[in-house]
Amino acid sequence: MSGQTEERMIFAILGAPMVICMLIFSWIFSLLLTGIGTVRWELLTVSALKGGMFEIIVGTIYLLLGATAVAGPIGVLAAIYLVEYAPRGGFTRIIDQAINNLAGVPSIVIGLFGYTFFCRHLGLGVSLAAGWLTLALMMLPIVIRGSEEALMMVPASFKEAALALGATRWKAISSTTLPAAAPGVVTSVILGIARVAGETAAILFTSCVLTARGLPRTPLEPVMTLSYNLFIQIVALGAPAQRVFGIALVLFMIVTSLSLSAILLRIHYRRRQPWLRMKG
Amino acid sequence: MVNEAKIDIRNLNVWFGDNHVLKDVSFKIRENAVTAIMGPSGCGKTTLIRAINRMNELIYGCRTSGEVYIDGHNIYDRNINVYELRRKVGMVFQKPNPFPKSIYENVAFGPRIHKMANGRELDEIVERSLREAALWNEVKDRLHDNALTLSGGQQQRLCIARALAVKPEILLMDEPCSSLDPTATAKIEALIRKLSKRYTVIIVTHNLQQAARISDFTAFLYMGRLIEYGETKRIFKNPQNELTEKYITGKFG
Repeated sequence: MSGQTEERMIFAILGAPMVICMLIFSWIFSLLLTGIGTVRWELLTVSALKGGMFEIIVGTIYLLLGATAVAGPIGVLAAIYLVEYAPRGGFTRIIDQAINNLAGVPSIVIGLFGYTFFCRHLGLGVSLAAGWLTLALMMLPIVIRGSEEALMMVPASFKEAALALGATRWKAISSTTLPAAAPGVVTSVILGIARVAGETAAILFTSCVLTARGLPRTPLEPVMTLSYNLFIQIVALGAPAQRVFGIALVLFMIVTSLSLSAILLRIHYRRRQPWLRMKG
Repeated sequence: MVNEAKIDIRNLNVWFGDNHVLKDVSFKIRENAVTAIMGPSGCGKTTLIRAINRMNELIYGCRTSGEVYIDGHNIYDRNINVYELRRKVGMVFQKPNPFPKSIYENVAFGPRIHKMANGRELDEIVERSLREAALWNEVKDRLHDNALTLSGGQQQRLCIARALAVKPEILLMDEPCSSLDPTATAKIEALIRKLSKRYTVIIVTHNLQQAARISDFTAFLYMGRLIEYGETKRIFKNPQNELTEKYITGKFG
């Protein structure tokens, strides 16, 4: 086989998956676009009781905000502890491994745990609060991992300088390491939100209903969400494709804009942090 | 030999895990003088000066035995306030490490955490420290620029100013010129000479000429042991130990 033919074959082999991916993506995109006809401003703002999606969209946002309020602080504090305070040794390694494993647990299993523990055992029932806690469980590993990486990227020399001036460990960390790591930490939280924004299995039997009277008034009431609505529309109601893809498009846009804002934030701050480029 | 001892190190041993880095080091460091610590890489120079402000203990797996007396107080005593110790014993690192903040904020950091001053008083500390570090004239019109916009040599003098701002008595310098060009190095060396009138300066260097140029006393460390210590002139002219002689004549290191 001549060098040229070999080169062509390699190019074809490496290029083929690329083409396949692009075909799949463009197909998904065209499906989503079929829903664009149904997504009108009125649909987004009109109550679900009148055929709109208002409470469903806001319900999704409620669920995400609550889960973030739980997983954000816990995840960031855990990351600070693990990076800056935890003694290096067996126990810390076990915790690290446990966090990795938590990230790999299928969402349906998390949902099942949420149902038995939060809904039944803690007596929260099918509710917004149970959904917050269940989704927070899914976000935690992402927030912890991402925050840990952001903290470890900050050169130790800043912290050392502060300590050598007589700063306490917390003062050194809070005034040098944390501000420098903040953008990475925020990015990890947004990625965590994006991860659970479209989640269905975990909230399937912990916090969702197909139709409610309106938005939940207390955290102990169930909520309507885009992903659950989509699921039911497909499997039970046999809704027209346009309607289904319309919902899917709204969900897709929420998730994409979250991921995009994480990326933009990272680019913005990376420009302002020359040491990330200087290396070391 | 040394009368006015500011620091008295006795039987100092430091281990990192199983690695015995400093072995029974004992010597006295004179007040308001420059003491150079030299020796080949890995001989424990940095560990030795970090034992004087207890920075070693921040490293996982570090153990220390022996005593280090500063003004007659053993800094390894249990009732020593380590934050106050580190205020009193300033440190300048090998690579300039200003905070990614403004020039002003860099110098004000120490006085702020020790609640030494604020407002007008803090401005005065910042100016005085920058003047002492021979940096004031170069930065007085851009105090609120980010410190990372300064050149390497300026950054290192800023780090010196930052250390001086908390009114230390001792200044530890860990190869402060190793990342600088000759011009910047000359400036820092002149500064060190000047500072030694008011501060006890201990400088780690593996540059023999530098040790000879700027120090009053020289300690030679080799494989964790203090091989020889004395007046710099005497050490360079008439080394008593064979190892010291080999080192300063460039036969190893």
